[in-house]
Parts: sequence; structure tokens; C-alpha cells
Amino acid sequence: MSIFEYNGSALVAMVGKNCFAIASDRRLGVQLQTIATDFRRIYKIHDKLYIGLSGLATDAQTLYQRLVFRHKLYQLREERDMKPETFASLVSALLYEKRFGPYFCQPVIAGLGDDNKPFICTMDSIGAKELAKDFVVAGTASESLYGACESMYKPDMEPEELFETISQALLASVDRDCLSGWGGHVLLVTPTEVQEKALKGRMD
Amino acid sequence: MAKALADVPPKGGFSFDLCRRNDMLVKKGIQLPGFRKTGTTIVGLIFEDGVILGADTRATEGPIVADKNCEKIHYMAPNIYCCGAGTAADTEAVTDMVSSQLQLHRYATGRESRVVTTLTLLKSHLFSYQGYVSAALVLGGVDVTGPHLHTVYPHGSTDTLPFATMGSGSLAAMAVFESKYKEGLSREEGIQLVSEAICSGIFNDLGSGSNVDVCVITKGKTDYLRNHQLPNPRTYVSSRGYSFAKGHTEVLSTKIIPLKAKPEVAVVDAMEE
Amino acid sequence: MGDSQYSFSLTTFSPSGKLVQIEHALMAVGAGQTSLGIKAANGVVIATEKKLPSILVDESSIQKIQLMTPNIGVVYSGMGPDSRVLVRKSRKQAQQYYRLYKEAIPVTQLVRETATVMQEFTQSGGVRPFGVSLLVAGFDDSGPQLYQVDPSGSYFSWKASAMGKNVSNAKTFLEKRYTEDMELDDAVHTAILTLKEGFEGQISGKNIEIGLIGTDRKFRVLSPAEIDDYLAEVE
Repeated sequence: MSIFEYNGSALVAMVGKNCFAIASDRRLGVQLQTIATDFRRIYKIHDKLYIGLSGLATDAQTLYQRLVFRHKLYQLREERDMKPETFASLVSALLYEKRFGPYFCQPVIAGLGDDNKPFICTMDSIGAKELAKDFVVAGTASESLYGACESMYKPDMEPEELFETISQALLASVDRDCLSGWGGHVLLVTPTEVQEKALKGRMD
Repeated sequence: MAKALADVPPKGGFSFDLCRRNDMLVKKGIQLPGFRKTGTTIVGLIFEDGVILGADTRATEGPIVADKNCEKIHYMAPNIYCCGAGTAADTEAVTDMVSSQLQLHRYATGRESRVVTTLTLLKSHLFSYQGYVSAALVLGGVDVTGPHLHTVYPHGSTDTLPFATMGSGSLAAMAVFESKYKEGLSREEGIQLVSEAICSGIFNDLGSGSNVDVCVITKGKTDYLRNHQLPNPRTYVSSRGYSFAKGHTEVLSTKIIPLKAKPEVAVVDAMEE
Repeated sequence: MGDSQYSFSLTTFSPSGKLVQIEHALMAVGAGQTSLGIKAANGVVIATEKKLPSILVDESSIQKIQLMTPNIGVVYSGMGPDSRVLVRKSRKQAQQYYRLYKEAIPVTQLVRETATVMQEFTQSGGVRPFGVSLLVAGFDDSGPQLYQVDPSGSYFSWKASAMGKNVSNAKTFLEKRYTEDMELDDAVHTAILTLKEGFEGQISGKNIEIGLIGTDRKFRVLSPAEIDDYLAEVE
């Protein structure tokens, strides 16, 4: 068994017109047994910057704590929020530091930049960044998510349509993955507001 | 050994504190995840006025294409670039680190960086990690002593060649070079041959794919031709895509958090005594 | 001098609350060659005298204005060798910042890091304070900036400042000449005129140095020929 399959996860982020959405499933399992059905994998860094951490939940939470620490230190020192690009580099540096004993996490980072330009990015567990213009995926459902997003994604979607697209892509994908599911969390971020929605999904 | 409790910004170098736990997991029969690889066809050749580097743009994770248009030609110095194959994080990190060392070296010496300096920095790092930092590189540049092309293997050995290929597509690309390379190619012929070699990798090696990146380095001038050729455009998507009616997805709860505009803070000069 | 019994140790306060070694370091700066900086509306200029001990020294081998990053330059007054240590440490700090965030270090951050090093050298064992003050000129997202860093580790942001032998005269001159809406070219002229005040001998492209940064955010040091052109404009 791969260590990524221990807890199971599905993560996806998509870019729309001056907005982005990041979504995850809600299941936390220990192999095939489900432990929680309201688990959060998407964490807030600041109002317009979120990180989703797929993979081993214990590592994800530790990594998140370290990231919050580093970001707060940065905020105090520089009196500003981190740009999404800058934050992605920080995550990458933190992961690569453990090149030979990695955190078993694959992060998905999504944020709005200075001029409300959406930024999304993912990386592997040792910090190889992948910047995408359209969508990024991670977790045990990543293969089906690639397929769903590749066919459902359209450029320059408005927030409402983006929400429907990312939700449908997520729900369709987790239905083909035993280890993730139980509905989803979606965060839809526009320059003026953040919409946080819980999705209904299959419970098997 | 006492370990600092606070998680202070790292001073550099690797941290091995999760290794024991991870080894324990392996002994329990758990598989460690693979890392993102570049798959890759990377090539380089020397032509009449300098060096041309080329790369495909596919990144893979096992059999999955992780990135369809990634960048594999890395900046080292204004006159030196480096193609990377192997584990993506390693090629990125090792080239970034050396390029930073070169920048400091340039400040200290006030001279243009040399390709051999870059080569030595790269190989000594890779050698000291005994091949565990898995970066296979094609290094090219033009300095005060003329054009240079080198290959660097993950264990730290190097070659100096008039034309070179690396990565999983190296055989396909080398076949093109071996049959068509000659000394004193013109710029256009050089770019053409490099593109052809990369395309040979893209179409014959499954680890390589998508587009052709080219970098032409001549004395005093570098042209980075990102996506020089796009031989694999998307053709299969319908232009309209799928449409979902608003309210199609079943939502259990919605929370709307309005974002306040940042208040303008008067700029106060930083003063400390 | 009553304080001198307290100058045996770097870290012992005199009864009047002074650290005399730091004051001595400031004296070393005050005895150094004059340097100055002016922040214009669209850039910053820093300039310094380059007087050599003998005419036999090859002046082209000496550079007093140096780059810390492509968009931040620095000049010192005081002890040249001490400044080299600071510049080397600051450049390394800037590179470390870049490697972590893949973003150029902001001027304020670099200045603070440099000032931190200078402070540490007023409190550590086996070292002495730096015998230099620095003028740091940079241009980043918060616009053009000019900072002065002193041996004690304190730092200030200035519209225009001077340090070294001729501080008081130069500062008075700058106070008279400075305007908020000054363009970079005017600032270079003012910098030259300020240096000319109290300059012993004939000023030329070979015995002063000028570095500037404009909206292109590329700091550069002018060549003697370029300085001569500016000198011709001033006259």
C-alpha cells in the first residue's frame, strides 16, 4: 500500500475569471475504514490564499502548523501578506529541506495575487513546483480528477459556473475512488468575498 | 542532541528528522510515494557562434502526465543555461542553488561567470550526495574562453562534448544528432537540428512529450525561445465544453465571508534607535 | 578623558550611559571620506569622494560603491575593509532570501539584516564594532529608498543624507538644495555640487564615484567618463 492511500484524499483547484475555487472531499479514513466525514484538508493562510494538503493527514497537519508559523513571522517582519507565488516557493523550500525524509503530503496552493490575478499551483512531496494556468489536482482521486477536469474545465468562467464545474468534477471523481468522498468542501474566492460551501455526495 | 524547540528559519542543508519514521513505515510494508520526474529529452549542441540547448516540456509522475508544459531549461547565469532531467525537485534545487552561488561569485569577482565554474559547482554537489540527488544535466554557455557544452550525471561525473543528449529520450535524440550533426552549423541549422532531436524524443519516448523549448546562447546575447515549436496542440476538446445549470450541485450549507478592502495605512518611515 | 576607564570592554556602559567603543567607531566614520545620498522622485543617487593616499595608486582598481542586489547599491564612509565584510554578508543574506521566496529582497528587509549584523558586532565577544556607516540606495515595490546604517546598528530612512568628514557642511547644503519633486538628473547635479563643497583639489571623474538607480530598478555605478559628462553639465 502506498502511504498516500492510508487516509485517502481528493483535492482540486481551478482558475476562473478574476477568481478561483479550491475543493476537497470530506473523508478521513484509516485504510478502508472511515473515521470522519467532516474532515478539512483546505487551510486558510490569509483572506485570499489557501492551501490544500493531500496525503498522510498527520504530516499534513504538522506541515500546516509550520506554514502558519512561517507566514505569521513573515507578516510581522514585512508588514504585508504573502503573495501566492512567494508562499508557493516557501512551501517548496520547506518540503525540499526534507528531501531524504519527506512529509507524505502533496499540496495544492490557490490564491489571488496583488491585482486579483488568480494563482494555482501544486507540487510533489519534495517540493517540485508545477504552475498551471487552468487546474491542479492531488490525492488518491487524482487520476480521475485529471480526467474530469480535463474535459469539464473551460477558461474564464464566472464564479457561479466555476463553482458548478469544480463541484461536478470533484463529485464525479470521488465516486470512482474508494478512499475519498463523503461530499466535499468548496471555497470560491473572488476579490470581494469568499463563499464556503459543503457539498452533498454519496455516503458509501 | 538537543534540538531547538522553536521552528526557526532553516540555515540551509537537508533535515533528516523524518527518516527513521519513514524507514519504519517501509519495514511495515508501506510503499513510499514516487517523486515527480521530468521524463525528458534534453539536448545541446555547439554551433558556429555558440551553444543551443533544447528540451521537451512534459513532467511525469509514474505513468501520469503531471505537467504538459513545464520548463526544463534553467537559468544559471546570463550567459549560461542548464537543461535538467531526473527528479524534478532535484534539478530545480541544484540549478537554483548553483545559480545563486554564481551570482555571489560574480559580485565578488566583477567578471562574467565561466561554464567550468558552473560545472565544478554542480558536480561537486552531486558527487557529495553519491547519486541520491538525482539530477542529470546538460550544461551549456558561452564565456570568455568560448562556447562550452557539458553533460553532468547524477553521481557527479561529467563529459565535455560537441553535442549531447540526456534523459529517457536521449537515445532517440542522439540518433538524430549522430546522423546529422556536423561542425560549424549556422544558427538556423542548429535550431532546426535541436528541434528535430527533441521532436524525435517527444514522438518516440513516452517519458517526453508536448512542446519544444530552445535556448540559443551566443557571445553577449541569449535567446530563450520558450515553446519554439508546438507539435501537440489540443484538438479533442469541444470549444463549448460542458455546461452545468446554476444550482445543479446539491449544496448542504453556504457561508459567505465578505472581504474588507485593506485600509490604507499612512507610510511611516522605519526608525529605530 | 573620564570615560576611558570604561573603554577596556566593548560591552560595559560608562556611568553616563554611553558605550564608548561605539562612539569611537562613529569617530572613525566621521574621519572617513565624505559620502552622500539623495532620494529623487523617480530614483536615488549615492556619491562619494575617492581620495587616494598616493598618486601612484591605480584608481581604476578601487570601487567604493557596490551592488548588494541588482536593485540595491551601497556606499560607505569610514574603514574600507570593514565595509567589505558587511557587503559580503548582506549579499549572501539577499541571496538566501531570494532562494527561499523566489522574490527579490525588499530594501527595508536587507537594510534591517545588515543593521542586525552591525548590532551583533557591538555585543559579541572577540569582535569590535564596524568602523563604517553605510548609505543604502534601492528601488523596489515601495518606490525609491535611501537608508543610512550606523555602527551601533541603528538605521534611518532619509530624503537626503551625508556622512564622513564633511557631514555638517554637506547636510546644510543638502537641506538648502533639496526639493521633494526633484528628478534623478537634478539629484545627480545636486550630489556633485554637494561633494564640490569642501572638496580639496580639482573634482573629476577619477576622484569621485556616483551610483544611481531609476525606475528601471537596475542599480549602476557611473563610469569616470559619464561622471565627467555630468561635471560638464554642472559647470
